Amino acid sequence: MAGIVPEQWSAAENGNGNVTTKGSSRELRHGRTAHNMSSSSLRKKSDIRIIQKVPYKGLKDFLANLQEVILGTKLAILFPAIPAAIIGTYCGFSQPLIFGLSLLGLTPLAERVSFLTEQLAFYTGPTLGGLLNATCGNATELIIAILALTNNKVAVVKYSLLGSILSNLLLVLGTSLFCGGIANLRREQRFDRKQADVNFFLLLMGLLCHLLPMLFGYVASGETSAALVSDMSLNLSRASSIVMLIAYIAYLVFQLWTHRQLFDAQDEEDEYDDNVADEETPVIGFWSGFAWLVGMTLVIALLSEYVVATIEDASESWNLSVSFISIILLPIVGNAAEHAGAIIFAFKNKLDISLGVALGSATQIGLFVVPLTVIVSWILGINMDLNFNLLETGSLALSIIITAFTLQDGTSHYMKGLVLLLCYIIIAICFFIDKLPQKQPNAIHLGHQPMNNVVTGSGGVFSS
Amino acid sequence: MGTIVEPWAMAENGYANANETIKGSSRELRHGRTAHNLSSSSLRKKSDLRLIQKIPCKTLKNILSNLQEVILGTKLTFLFLAIPLAILANSHHYGRSLIFGLSLIGLTPLAERVSFLTEQLAFYTGPTVGGLLNATCGNATELIIAILALANNKVGVVKYSLLGSILSNLLLVLGSSLFCGGIANIRREQRFDRKQADVNFFLLLMGLLCHLLPLLIKYAMIGKSSTSQINKMSLNLSRISSIIMLIAYIAYLIFQLWTHRQLFEAQEEDDDDAYDDEVTVEETPVIGFWSGFAWLIGMTLVIALLSEYAVDTIEEASDLWGLSVSFISIVLLPIVGNAAEHAGAIIFAFKNKLDISLGVALGSATQISLFVVPLTVIVAWIMGIKMDLNFNILETSSLAFAIIIIAFTLQDGTSHYMKGMVLLLCYVIIAACFYVDQTPQKQPKNNLGGVLSA
Repeated sequence: MAGIVPEQWSAAENGNGNVTTKGSSRELRHGRTAHNMSSSSLRKKSDIRIIQKVPYKGLKDFLANLQEVILGTKLAILFPAIPAAIIGTYCGFSQPLIFGLSLLGLTPLAERVSFLTEQLAFYTGPTLGGLLNATCGNATELIIAILALTNNKVAVVKYSLLGSILSNLLLVLGTSLFCGGIANLRREQRFDRKQADVNFFLLLMGLLCHLLPMLFGYVASGETSAALVSDMSLNLSRASSIVMLIAYIAYLVFQLWTHRQLFDAQDEEDEYDDNVADEETPVIGFWSGFAWLVGMTLVIALLSEYVVATIEDASESWNLSVSFISIILLPIVGNAAEHAGAIIFAFKNKLDISLGVALGSATQIGLFVVPLTVIVSWILGINMDLNFNLLETGSLALSIIITAFTLQDGTSHYMKGLVLLLCYIIIAICFFIDKLPQKQPNAIHLGHQPMNNVVTGSGGVFSS
Repeated sequence: MGTIVEPWAMAENGYANANETIKGSSRELRHGRTAHNLSSSSLRKKSDLRLIQKIPCKTLKNILSNLQEVILGTKLTFLFLAIPLAILANSHHYGRSLIFGLSLIGLTPLAERVSFLTEQLAFYTGPTVGGLLNATCGNATELIIAILALANNKVGVVKYSLLGSILSNLLLVLGSSLFCGGIANIRREQRFDRKQADVNFFLLLMGLLCHLLPLLIKYAMIGKSSTSQINKMSLNLSRISSIIMLIAYIAYLIFQLWTHRQLFEAQEEDDDDAYDDEVTVEETPVIGFWSGFAWLIGMTLVIALLSEYAVDTIEEASDLWGLSVSFISIVLLPIVGNAAEHAGAIIFAFKNKLDISLGVALGSATQISLFVVPLTVIVAWIMGIKMDLNFNILETSSLAFAIIIIAFTLQDGTSHYMKGMVLLLCYVIIAACFYVDQTPQKQPKNNLGGVLSA
């Protein structure tokens, strides 16, 4: 789940929790960025009337708070999956069932976390709010990655991160452009190239960082010992990760400070006001928001733990390879809320927002979550490098190239969306038919992990 | 070799009378001429009907005028002689390489005539069916060669010839057009409409993805699983990708023929009087529907016959001439199949009508990549032959580079002769690469290794 940066309005910065400013003042709408608006499409207004009847003020506030947070989304129906998953673990339900329930439970949680970070951003000011959003927006992917690392399932980490990038670039973008194109068949659909371009060159830089360690494996064939090659690859990956994080920080500076005007959402007409008026003020207090955020993050961690633990059993039972589940299913769950939002905004011909969501997420995962994971693994002493193997890196490279070419002229029509979507389906099928037997990742010594990949010319199955 | 044809309102009334001459430059009538029509029409010549008018008997007159229109109506007519010679050579068992050469020469005018006939038929069938007809039959030569080679289980030849068609359209036709156009218009700015070109590029990139993944699977899985399993995975992926490519192609046709037709119409030009003369000749059908249909079937059969000869004799020709089969399939066969369009594209580039040249070249490449290739894979599936989309690393890389170079070259919407020159030289380099590739050929019965691997 990604976030770009929400910016504060001068009214909210005074720290007033309940200022309601209706009307379409440009200053107030100024600074709504893509992500905020996209997620807001899944909100629904809280119906506070019932609660007003409760006599105790404390209880009333508490219930209002609860209602806002738990019921404030159309995805609320999926919340029961969470207790079901927890009960399932203790009562010994079948592993695949726990996996499925955890996945279902993660979906509304991801959306609620982005809601909470947006609310907190009202209080913390633009910069801090932006950072918060950028970090927490991808909470689900980050937590799954780190938990999988601690279980030494480096392959799952790599696959899920790659799958997130592919899903954002091809699936979310493709469906948005396709639906938007069909809905606006007679209109010309334009968007601002400059935003998209920034994301593309950052993604290409990330691709370079994946490509070089992979190429090491092919270059050093037989003259150098395999252990040396894997060492080189690991060191390069770690250094690259630091560089990627520097680039990401620069990107944040660029986006939040020096070139903010490139990233502001289009100023649109009046139909917009209804959505915006709702979100212009925070609906929960700072500390309650903070508490909810921490709480939800813990629940996400718990469900992710279940997911990571049960992934192999689910894969055997459903007869899908682990790579397919990690690349295709996990990212769909993590991105569901943004995905819906991006499609809705494409319908309304507000392509800048859809593009901002999709490309922004891809950039954040590519340049923030991935290097952060490498560095966390470095701290934990696990050998994870940036070599995502031939098939995955090839798919990533071609996806970036196709998306970059498709979007380079600043217009859109449904064919573009359809082609991106079909490319995603082809890549998904490619991983679907990849039914090679998986080596259990817990059983192999750390020191030998990348060696198998490197010496045999690397395969689609990570032998970590 | 075909994009879509749109008839004019007049012709849609089903006028079979060939003799309407519409002078003048009514914009409506020229509206809807797409790239392919205009390009092919450059090789036509006006029928000289005066001689025939003198013949008393009406039927005979009609037959003769029909014949004249179809057989003699092109500047490539003299190549028609190669057809009876090829048939003769085959039955008398002359040198195999001679048969091969004659078949190639004979295919050239036939390809051009088929596109003429589909255009004529399109007058009668309406825009949509006409467009579909043109799109299908325009690539008749490549399709027939591919299917015949499949039937002879020469999967290597199929892959090479299809790849060569795409490369030839992308680099050779486009390069020579841009080069000649640039030299001829050296003082003028040459612009074209990017949007058309862009649609073709992302479709070509999608096709490239479909070729890349089976290739990567093969390299990624070496040593991790048995070769038969790898081949099976590659084959399944290829077959499913082919279905998806055909879905994309159908969407492309809908896009081109229906919802976004305005993107693809040929430039409306101002009063180039030279233009009017050519256009007026083509505005009405010159042969009747059923005679056109009969000619089309007949010519397709002759194409099939000559292709049969070509496919049979390709190995002997390659041995005799000292060229590898890959070189012949990648370079020679497509030059033959595309000769007519090639000439047309160059002529239009001379006149600074780059949209048409681009439409021809890129449109053909897209059609072969997204229609002929997956169709061939599916036909192979039906016939039980194991053809996948893995075109091997050298060929796939050439294709990838060609697409990327062209996409970059054309991305700013202008052109000059250097662009054409570079594309042409890239084609020469790739041709040289396959020329020096003299590794011995294996008969492609299995899916592994070697230059001709299926």
